[in-house]
Amino acid sequence: MLLSALTLTPGVVGVLLLLFVPRGAVSLHRWASLLASLVSLALAVVVWSRFDPASATFQLVEARPWLPAYGVFYRLGVDGISLLLVLLTTLLQPLVFISSWHAIKERVKGYVVAMLLLETGMIGAFLATDLFLFYVFWELMLLPMYFIIGVWGGERRVYAAVKFVLFTLAGSLLMLVGIIYLSWLHHAQFGSWSFAYEDMRRLVIPMGQGFWHSPQLLLFTAFALAFAIKVPVWPLHTWLPDAHVEAPTGGSIILAGVLLKLGTFGLLRFNRVLFPEAWEKAAPLFIVLSVIAIIYGALGSWAQKDIKKLVAYSSVSHMGFIVLGLFVGGIAATQGALIQMVNHGLSTGALFMLVGVIYERRHTRLIEDFGGLAAVMPYYTGAFLLTTLASIGLPGLNGFVGEFLILAGSYRTHPVAVALAATGIVLGAVYMLSLVQRVFWNALTNPENERLSDLAWYEGVAFAPLAIFMIWIGVHPRTFLSLSEAAVARLIGG
Amino acid sequence: MPINDLATILPELLLVLVGALLALADSLAPSLRPRFALLAAVAVAGATVLRWAIPLPGRVWGGVLLVDPMARFVDSYILAALFLCALLAEPYLARTGARFGEFYALLLWAGVGAMVMAKSDNLLVIFVGLELLSISLYALNAFHTGNVLSLEAGWKYLVVGGFSAAVLLFGVALLYGATGTLSLASTPAPSAPLASGGSLLLTGLGLVFAGLAFKLALAPFHAWAPDVYQGSPTPVTAFLSVVPKGAALVVLARLVAALLPLAALPRWTGLLAAVAVLSMTLGNLVAIAQRDLKRMLAYSGIAHMGYALVGLVAFGQDGVAAVLVYLAAYTLMNIAAFAVVSAFSEGEEEPHLITDLAGQGWVRPGLSFALAVAMFSLAGIPPTVGFAAKFLVFRAAVLNDLVWLAVVGVLNSLVSVFFYVRVVYYLYMRPLPKRQPQFSEPVLVRLVAGLCAVGIFLLGLLPGIVLAGAEVAARTLPR
Repeated sequence: MLLSALTLTPGVVGVLLLLFVPRGAVSLHRWASLLASLVSLALAVVVWSRFDPASATFQLVEARPWLPAYGVFYRLGVDGISLLLVLLTTLLQPLVFISSWHAIKERVKGYVVAMLLLETGMIGAFLATDLFLFYVFWELMLLPMYFIIGVWGGERRVYAAVKFVLFTLAGSLLMLVGIIYLSWLHHAQFGSWSFAYEDMRRLVIPMGQGFWHSPQLLLFTAFALAFAIKVPVWPLHTWLPDAHVEAPTGGSIILAGVLLKLGTFGLLRFNRVLFPEAWEKAAPLFIVLSVIAIIYGALGSWAQKDIKKLVAYSSVSHMGFIVLGLFVGGIAATQGALIQMVNHGLSTGALFMLVGVIYERRHTRLIEDFGGLAAVMPYYTGAFLLTTLASIGLPGLNGFVGEFLILAGSYRTHPVAVALAATGIVLGAVYMLSLVQRVFWNALTNPENERLSDLAWYEGVAFAPLAIFMIWIGVHPRTFLSLSEAAVARLIGG
Repeated sequence: MPINDLATILPELLLVLVGALLALADSLAPSLRPRFALLAAVAVAGATVLRWAIPLPGRVWGGVLLVDPMARFVDSYILAALFLCALLAEPYLARTGARFGEFYALLLWAGVGAMVMAKSDNLLVIFVGLELLSISLYALNAFHTGNVLSLEAGWKYLVVGGFSAAVLLFGVALLYGATGTLSLASTPAPSAPLASGGSLLLTGLGLVFAGLAFKLALAPFHAWAPDVYQGSPTPVTAFLSVVPKGAALVVLARLVAALLPLAALPRWTGLLAAVAVLSMTLGNLVAIAQRDLKRMLAYSGIAHMGYALVGLVAFGQDGVAAVLVYLAAYTLMNIAAFAVVSAFSEGEEEPHLITDLAGQGWVRPGLSFALAVAMFSLAGIPPTVGFAAKFLVFRAAVLNDLVWLAVVGVLNSLVSVFFYVRVVYYLYMRPLPKRQPQFSEPVLVRLVAGLCAVGIFLLGLLPGIVLAGAEVAARTLPR
């Protein structure tokens, strides 16, 4: 019941708000949504406290028949991998509501309802241990995000929203056929219908000859396409800058902080485990693509004039690291990729939040419009600097842990990839620090920037938890690494 | 004639009688006109109760009618569609000043025609049911006599319908020649010699299929659909878009089940698959280009019958059950869509432009939400019933070694998302125009749209409710 409560609380509150609370009751909508997300966060912490890190299997398992004759069950379960990501999701969601408190003034009802449904979709996708249920939650995320970008977004929001929907669906529909095929395979091999993840692990999926006659390669492709678009793996990334830049601040935080992780999570959870031989075969391709993404994203960031776009492109680069870690394999690299998912969620979430703060004050995000902000916004500068340092991997902060583990886990087997990826780290420092210099240190030339107010108390409250975790993971990563150790070891062990 | 046989068709008898009474009452007691919709709806509800109250003896009336679980399933959804359309029609007729008893009489009789069609085992009785359905619809299409588009729709449907009926009848004649019987169930066993009758049988089968494909608006027999959808009174369009298609699809399923052992299987399956692919692809691609909402829904309907046909290509119990669930889903989402369309139109002569929906999402949240839900369901996005239905159909395809057909289906779904989502885009992401359209929101329309939206979510989350019935129904087919 605990996992169901955690998953469904936001969505149920969202539906209740939608049906029974009039549009005019703006503060009720705001408070109720914040409260629902806090309840989810509290439940996630309870799950954390009950979680046994020594066990590698799914815990707190729930199973209820849904279409039992077809093998469709409502199955939830948590392991170390999903626990980390659920904690990240439930941590970010209240912060989204706080940072949207004043930013979203119109159609508040629609916004909070969409956000709450989205949260249920995200948590459900992490916790589902039935492929059918996973697909339902996966698609449940699509429409709220479509509305969030399309209604509350920037100037080119509609283009960005439609592009987001079509890209995402293009990937996931083939995955649906793949899921159905897996259940058929289960029936063929075991004589019963099932969509359960644990049952799928027992399947023997033939490799066959060539690509078109290899069920495993085709299934791998169907699943990987859905996840690679979500990550996004270069060259499928083109939807990302549009969606991130046009989305409202809250939408960008969730999109970069959690939705992208669903892609890497899916690769690890499904592709790696269910299609191991195809995974081996595809690894070189994905390693090359991820190295391209690392460098391409970094160069793309460097060239941007808009701060939000810069952060968006940096996501392509950072996600490239995670994909690299996943496909190199090995416990260290996989653990590194996993903790890096959390890190990227924290630091990019924080960056988008902070970009939102100055956008609200100045209604511009162009780097050249700023300069010398350190003098007028000292706290804001401190927050931005901390996040920047975390993002570029300064030892002692969270980003370092993940990048170090990925590179240390990879260099023995893939020295060239590591060398190239390391240039990505250097480039990351270049574009982020030059951003900081141009925005905060240079002379304060623009008179409009002279009277900017510093972080408001609620903005500080929203940022503080992220800062705490950036330092916590940086100083004592074992707290989090130990959670997923057993689950990852089981994964790698096969 | 045993009295027991009479009892098995009580629901049909009730509807025929109430229809006749309403037609009479129109001249005898015109003051009752505002209540006709309610009377018709009550009669439909009564027929539904009767259908579920009386037992299912199977073969009755000397083997002509099959009152089995399949018939009950199809009747239930025909009656549900009738109920919703009758309610939907009242505000429409009030607005256009055409609140006549004949409308409801024709509507009920059309429903009876569909019900007879769906439960008949005899090819000629199927034909009679089809004609009852079609002739009632010719008049209903043209019911809005002040609108030239409506007259055009009636005329077009008459010409095409007459033609397709002739094709079907010719096919029936050939089948009779080939098999020596009009009964589907008593066709000769597969071992019977086919050498002489083989081509005759296949030609007859092809012609009957073509006749039914006209009713289903499957490509390449679809050309009438956009004009007829657009011109017909919207409540009639709603009825037309679901009931005849459902009945025809069930006839097709019975036909396939009965003749499958006789006909050359691969050729027959190949033909069905080709028509399914063509319908899906053509319907979805052309729907993108539509600016009129009703025309867009016409092309979407062509595509959806293509999806449903995928289930029949797969056949087997899974396939037929999937098709039946698909029909129920399609009924809910299409009627929801047309209910909102009937509210979101200023005058019946006006085109129902998608652009006119701009900004309505924030002004008329209830109806707009229902339309958005219908669009997402038609696009097949969970947790709506449209997704559950598509899942079952594609599952049936994969299970029967037709993965390629499932892939074509999902790719088509992707294409369709584009135009369904565009409706939502106009509703919520475009500013209200300066000249605000004068839309009405009659209570009955809101009720119908609300019921359908609730059904879309309920059956989307708990598809087991309708799937259980569909499986029992599917089991009645031989094989």
